[in-house]
Amino acid sequence: MSKKKVMSTIAVHVLLAVLAFIWILPIIWLAVTSFSGYDGMNTSRFFPETWSLKNYTRILFHPDTVAQFPAWFKNTLIIAIFTCIISSCFVLMVSYAMSCMRFKGRKAMMNIAVMLQLFPGFLSMIAIYFILKSINLTNSHVGMIFVYSGAAGLGYLVAKGFFDTIPTSLREAAYLEGASEARTFFTIVLPLSKPIVVYTVISSFLVPWTDFVFAKIILNSGISSDWTVAIGLYNMLKKQLLPSYFSRFCAGGMLVAIPIGILFIIMQKFYVEGITGGSVKG
Amino acid sequence: MNNVKKKKNPMTAFFEAIGRFIKEFGQAVKDGDSGVKASLLLMGAGYWKRGQKLKGVLVTLLEIAVILYNVFIGFPYIGKLGHLGTVQQEMIYNPTTMKNEVNNYDNSLLCLLFGVISLVFLIVAVALWMVNIRTTYKLQKRAEAGKHINTFKEDCRELLNDKFHFTLLSLPVLGIIIFNVLPLIVMICVAFTNYDQNHMPPAKLFTWVGLANFKSLFTTSMTVTFGYTFRRILVWTLIWAVFATVTTYVGGILLSLLINSKLTRFKKMWRTLFVTSIAVPQFVTLLLIRNFFASNGIVNTFLAHAGITGFLKHLGWISTNYVPFLTNPTWAKVTIIMINIWVGVPYLMLIATGVLMNIPEELKESARIDGANKFQIFKSITMPYMLFITGPYLVTQFTANINNFNVIYLLTQDVYTTTNQKLAASQGKEIDLLVTWLYRLTSEQYNYKMAAVIGICVFIVCAIITLFAFNFLIKGDKEDTFK
Repeated sequence: MSKKKVMSTIAVHVLLAVLAFIWILPIIWLAVTSFSGYDGMNTSRFFPETWSLKNYTRILFHPDTVAQFPAWFKNTLIIAIFTCIISSCFVLMVSYAMSCMRFKGRKAMMNIAVMLQLFPGFLSMIAIYFILKSINLTNSHVGMIFVYSGAAGLGYLVAKGFFDTIPTSLREAAYLEGASEARTFFTIVLPLSKPIVVYTVISSFLVPWTDFVFAKIILNSGISSDWTVAIGLYNMLKKQLLPSYFSRFCAGGMLVAIPIGILFIIMQKFYVEGITGGSVKG
Repeated sequence: MNNVKKKKNPMTAFFEAIGRFIKEFGQAVKDGDSGVKASLLLMGAGYWKRGQKLKGVLVTLLEIAVILYNVFIGFPYIGKLGHLGTVQQEMIYNPTTMKNEVNNYDNSLLCLLFGVISLVFLIVAVALWMVNIRTTYKLQKRAEAGKHINTFKEDCRELLNDKFHFTLLSLPVLGIIIFNVLPLIVMICVAFTNYDQNHMPPAKLFTWVGLANFKSLFTTSMTVTFGYTFRRILVWTLIWAVFATVTTYVGGILLSLLINSKLTRFKKMWRTLFVTSIAVPQFVTLLLIRNFFASNGIVNTFLAHAGITGFLKHLGWISTNYVPFLTNPTWAKVTIIMINIWVGVPYLMLIATGVLMNIPEELKESARIDGANKFQIFKSITMPYMLFITGPYLVTQFTANINNFNVIYLLTQDVYTTTNQKLAASQGKEIDLLVTWLYRLTSEQYNYKMAAVIGICVFIVCAIITLFAFNFLIKGDKEDTFK
């Protein structure tokens, strides 16, 4: 019996190790290639032949017409900060209204929200591009911030699910004490919702860093310094650029992946709580 | 899950509500006193009469602004909405400046854009006007009943209390209307026009063509291959969505069972390892993997050295000297689904872990006492519980996969070229989903009309699946089973 248990313990760990290896392999490749002394993609060896830090120094301190990493990083950071503030407010506001308040048309609004999300986001983005272009906001930070945060209220479901789990009795006690709805929101519900606030803030901060499609439509000037990190890095892998920029792409990828990855790992703790907590306790 | 229970015809409810609203409006106009009647013209009048001076002024100012907007900008554009412009851009000789100048032409796109915006704006304004009459009528009733009438300060305080939802929702809803609803209406309109490469404003005009684009989506002829392409791409989109959803779902549950098994040590470390792979932005990992599997890439080098390439060739599975992971239709489809497992399983692992930890221990305990073995517990408790909790998520995941742009685009753009002439003629590829095809039509061919038609089709497909799933698969009565 115990021998069998030892065997299956080993089997489980070997299996996990193999799987983890597969899952982590591309990340390792990204990391080692970013230290490669060779500019292009090494197709015959996994590890680089020569090691060097030059990819990092070049991408950080010697931008050229193709690789303008510092500018991209700055653009993305500015857009991300504003998007984060606006989207988080919108999402939390809508979630509270939909979860804790009862008013005419609430159900109807929720149904409309479900319906709107069945359209490919891409479709509205084409028209948004036209609208932004007609008021000269394409290729600008403001335009991108609008694109990412304008309709953010639609993504309220996770936070609403969390607010649903906060016992009604707590809020009722506050009303009895004479607290207004706004006061209840700020002093009772928000402090209890730290996990979901953190989740909302981080996830909306991540949007501009990970989005590729919308940025590609709106930032179409072809001027490298206007871009966000995602488009800039994508552009480096064009067929004619790849031989001279591949390892720099990896260095840039690492520089984005580390801060974004850390934020993501913090966020995922709250992610599960947010999407499952609501329906379990609800 | 609230919207699942009461699916009792939201459409009828909606129209009933509108009917009720119009009736109330009629009542207010009929029974209203001089103040209410004056509000028909001057919106603030009803408030003045009840002593709400500031509110009256504000409302009237708003009314004036709306009227000015409509007279100078709104109505001219709404007028052009019928034909989307008639004057084409031309160079005309101007005798006074002795130069060729651009004439005062119509830009069909701006006509459509601002026409739709102005129309929506006008409808909202009329609705507000009606609401205003109703409110003043209610105010009159209150005054007649001798009830207290709010001062402006009290009205403002109300916005933080009983009407707090109004304060909370107005900005986000405005954002949604401007950045989601209006653009969608515009794009739905585009589906009924001939806006494409040959009708590009400002140089050319485009106009309404009725259902012609929908017709060409279903025609296959010598010149038009949209029917053929649409069928091929729709079938692949559905196959992809099924495979992508099922494989990641099953894989994620299995992985989380493995990690959370009693035998596993260092659970946290394993979880973090898998999460690391999704923590890196997709455009980095997917672009990397695409080069990993490139025809002259590192995987192919290894396979060739190991003799696997030769073996596959011997079997007749490949005809090239490399494995065409992302360049041959069949290979590419399989590779993409495999890579998607890599992308999706860690997410599902996280969710499944959360759900598994939440399964009430008593349920399992009582099953164990009844003599159920591990597999039986999994089959009759863990799995149904999982499905119950993640059911709605599964449906959204399915529609998200139908719209999964990133995986397909980042893996195949600039890499995959189709040899199928019929597909190429309408800008499609074997591995395209409806959304990537839509993107390609707009970015490579400026074929906005067909892109809009495809967008509507995606909506229809997603709507049918969602409705079906919520009505038949996830039944409301299951709710009590686990409580």
